[in-house]
Amino acid sequence: MSTRDADTQLELLQGTLDLLILQTLALGQAHGHAIARSIEQRSDDVLQVGHGSLYPALQRLLKLGLVVAVDGISENNRKARFYRLTAKGRKKLFSETSKWQKLSNAIALILAPVAKENP
Amino acid sequence: MLGWKKRRNQLLREFETHIEIEIQENINNGMSPEEARHAAKKKFGNVGLTVEKSREVWGGLWLERLLQDIRYAVRSLSGVPAYTATLVCTLVLGLGCVTTMLAVIQSTLMQPVALPHSEQLVQVYTENSPDGTYASPQALSYKEIDELRRGNRSFTGVGGYNTMVRPVTASDGTRIAVLTEVTSDYFQMLGVQARLGRLILPADTKSPVVVVSHEFWSERLHADPRAIGSTIKVSGELRTVIGVLPLSIHVPQGTGGPIVYVPVSLDASGDDDYKLESASTIARLKPGVSMQQALADAQSIFAHSEPGNAAQDRHLGLRSYRDLVVGDMQKPLLTLLGGVGVLLLIACANAANLQIGRAASRMPEMTVRSALGASFGRLLQQLVTESILISLFSAALGSALSYAAVEVIRHAYGNQFPRFDELSIRPIVLAGTAVLAVLVGVVASIAPALNIRRKTTSRFNTKNATRKTRLPGILVALQVALTCVLLVISGLFVRTLQQLQNVKLGFDPRGVTTLVLMPENQNQDQQLSREIEARLLRRFEALPGIQSVTMQTEIPFSNYNMVLDGRTDVSGRTYQKGDSALYSLVSTSFVHTSGIRLLKGRSFLTEDDTSGSLVVLVNEAFLQKYLDGRQPLGTTLKFHRDPGDTDTDLPFTQPMTVVGVVENEIQGGDLGAPYQPMIYVDSMQIPKNSPIGLIFNMTAQYAVRSSLGPAALSSELRAALKDEAPTMIEMSLRPMQDGISQSLGQRQLALRLVAGFGIVALALSAVGIYGVLAYSVALRRREIGIRMSLGSSRLKVAGLVMRQAGAMVLLGLIPGIAGAWAAGHAVRSFLYGVSALDAATLVYVGVVLVLVSAAAAFFPALRAAQIDPVEILRAE
Repeated sequence: MSTRDADTQLELLQGTLDLLILQTLALGQAHGHAIARSIEQRSDDVLQVGHGSLYPALQRLLKLGLVVAVDGISENNRKARFYRLTAKGRKKLFSETSKWQKLSNAIALILAPVAKENP
Repeated sequence: MLGWKKRRNQLLREFETHIEIEIQENINNGMSPEEARHAAKKKFGNVGLTVEKSREVWGGLWLERLLQDIRYAVRSLSGVPAYTATLVCTLVLGLGCVTTMLAVIQSTLMQPVALPHSEQLVQVYTENSPDGTYASPQALSYKEIDELRRGNRSFTGVGGYNTMVRPVTASDGTRIAVLTEVTSDYFQMLGVQARLGRLILPADTKSPVVVVSHEFWSERLHADPRAIGSTIKVSGELRTVIGVLPLSIHVPQGTGGPIVYVPVSLDASGDDDYKLESASTIARLKPGVSMQQALADAQSIFAHSEPGNAAQDRHLGLRSYRDLVVGDMQKPLLTLLGGVGVLLLIACANAANLQIGRAASRMPEMTVRSALGASFGRLLQQLVTESILISLFSAALGSALSYAAVEVIRHAYGNQFPRFDELSIRPIVLAGTAVLAVLVGVVASIAPALNIRRKTTSRFNTKNATRKTRLPGILVALQVALTCVLLVISGLFVRTLQQLQNVKLGFDPRGVTTLVLMPENQNQDQQLSREIEARLLRRFEALPGIQSVTMQTEIPFSNYNMVLDGRTDVSGRTYQKGDSALYSLVSTSFVHTSGIRLLKGRSFLTEDDTSGSLVVLVNEAFLQKYLDGRQPLGTTLKFHRDPGDTDTDLPFTQPMTVVGVVENEIQGGDLGAPYQPMIYVDSMQIPKNSPIGLIFNMTAQYAVRSSLGPAALSSELRAALKDEAPTMIEMSLRPMQDGISQSLGQRQLALRLVAGFGIVALALSAVGIYGVLAYSVALRRREIGIRMSLGSSRLKVAGLVMRQAGAMVLLGLIPGIAGAWAAGHAVRSFLYGVSALDAATLVYVGVVLVLVSAAAAFFPALRAAQIDPVEILRAE
């Protein structure tokens, strides 16, 4: 009985997953499987629940206009839908990434002295 | 909808490609095709759920789901017609009753009165009745109305009216009609326009004109437009019809019917044509003036009136016109609404129980859907949709039924209760019913949904365990409690009615017929009327089969009583404010005819008429109030004279001597009302030309004691009347007992309604008990089979089921009795002669509930006893 577990996990993932997809597409257009494979390789944990959970995120990005989808032919001659970053998507990726970096820098600064005091 | 499908198919194609690529890669990595497919599918996850989640992103899915749910609900409900029919019937009953009651309340209590800016209209009334003659004890004298009209700063208009019944002669003969005399500014103040012709204007004060209601115009003037300008005879006076009111205008009492309106015209002494000195008063507030301001204004006008004026010690009150028309209806109607509300709760509990039962039989379906990925929210939505669908459907059917019910009520009671002629179901009521239906739908589906949640999330397969749910039992207990409340209230009403029927009337109505006459010409000479009436009395007395006849100005249950409430000096007692008694003018054989018991002294004698001294009888209430512990016989009474009063202000000046005391008898038409002190005067002894005679000779009321059948007696009396006094018009002729039962009629109507609710509630509860037990027996078949194979007898098994029923009923009876006590307390003003917590009623209701419950539990118990243990164990 994993539907409810999957629900909560997906919610936690949402922001991260969106960012990962945008990051993947920054290198060029890709179809669903390719995106999944790429994310999987970079972070196995995130996609543990299944490749399927990628698609609601893709639909969300489509709706927000961060990506567009076009029909095309895959590398092994299959009809597939390819996703490409829009200008808005690129801007978003940039801003989110810098936000992430600021956040992690901040966290690093906060955590460092604590570690010193309690060795 | 095409968009949804397209997107769905596109997503499915995309997923397919995704999985195919994954399979290919797996094969390339050395898996067997079979393994590769399996691994790819596992990696992707639940395809159906992913499609839903992906599409959810785009929104609008709820609508698709709703339509899907509705389609599904209709399909699955049509598969279980018995369940659906039971549920629909239950809810139609509950919602239909509530809709009808809401429609009645909305039409009568909430819908503004059909007059322009009716919220500005108020009644100005007095809380201490004026002296002299009046049609309503709350009336103000014409002089006071005039002072109010001239002196106020709060009203745009002040009008007065009096309503009475008089003979009216049109082309179709002489028949009685409601006559309303109105001050000439009355219609202007109300802001009413004529349907035809014109209405009464200030210039019409002295002119012989008449305005008629739409009903009078269509029933008695053949709806002829040429009737304007024709003449009709109103109470003996020829009057020209100048106008017809619109159909919807029923002023002042709010009930339809043929009514004629004539202008008030006052004589030199301030009396109108009908010898009345006062009128009910309606005023229109100036915009922005509150009732409190207006009341203070009116009171200050009266406080500053000239010294010695009765207006100075008038306690004024103000109420809205709507309250004047329907004020009396408010409490009974709201009580009935409470009754139907309880009924709806019972129906709701039944619906919940039915749905719990059905949810149990749907568990496999729910488990499968849950396993396929449906979230609990999705299952809940399906259940709630189905439940709301049913209750909306029931609400539609219920509204159709209540539409018919409202039509029936309007036809039956349109002329009897104020504003009932305006009854209709307005959109706001339907909207209210729809909201209620949705609420009922949601509430009734909560319990089954919780059940499903528990079962689909439990880790154990519950198939082999007998699981007990307490909820259905609690719901049945709730039903029993609510039913108990309704039954106790109907029981109290039944007891009230019995008590009223057993009220000591103080007289013997059996074999007594009342006849009310009125001179066709109301200005007929007083002395002539008196002579005619006395002659008729002698004629009636001489008729064969008639034992005795009396005239009485106040006959219990008559609608034509004239009341003189006179301030009275009692010899040996200092007059105090409020020392007054009712005066009834009777004829010599009063005691004999009425059958009233003479407690002390003697009755009137024929010799009294001519002896010159006035002798009177008083009742027990008079004795208690004024002559407590004293010898009543021989006491002298006199009308009290205030400083400044002249002889003409008093009914008469002669002293009266008490010669006898009679038992209290019912006064007026209310069986439950307390007794007022009363003085009986022989009308033949009243001095000629006394103002009291003038008024009291306007109607003649005869009580006739006879052993003849009603038909024979009527024709005999009518023949004598036609022969002796053709100018006297018959207003009413009926056995006295008809009057008594009519006075009980209104209470009987309420009783029938409440008792109806009680019976419906009982039926619903019985269905609820049956349903829960039948379901429980079905669930416990295995347990019962095992019990029986271990040696339990069939009787013991049946006892098991009966005990379960007994527990539910007992659990309901205790809060039920507490609730009944509270409800009884709330309706105590409708009760008479029975306390709000009547032990006999409670015991009776308890016994009925237990018996009906036992009957409802009998069949499931029988089914349990018939379980074959061998069959059950074989199925294991």
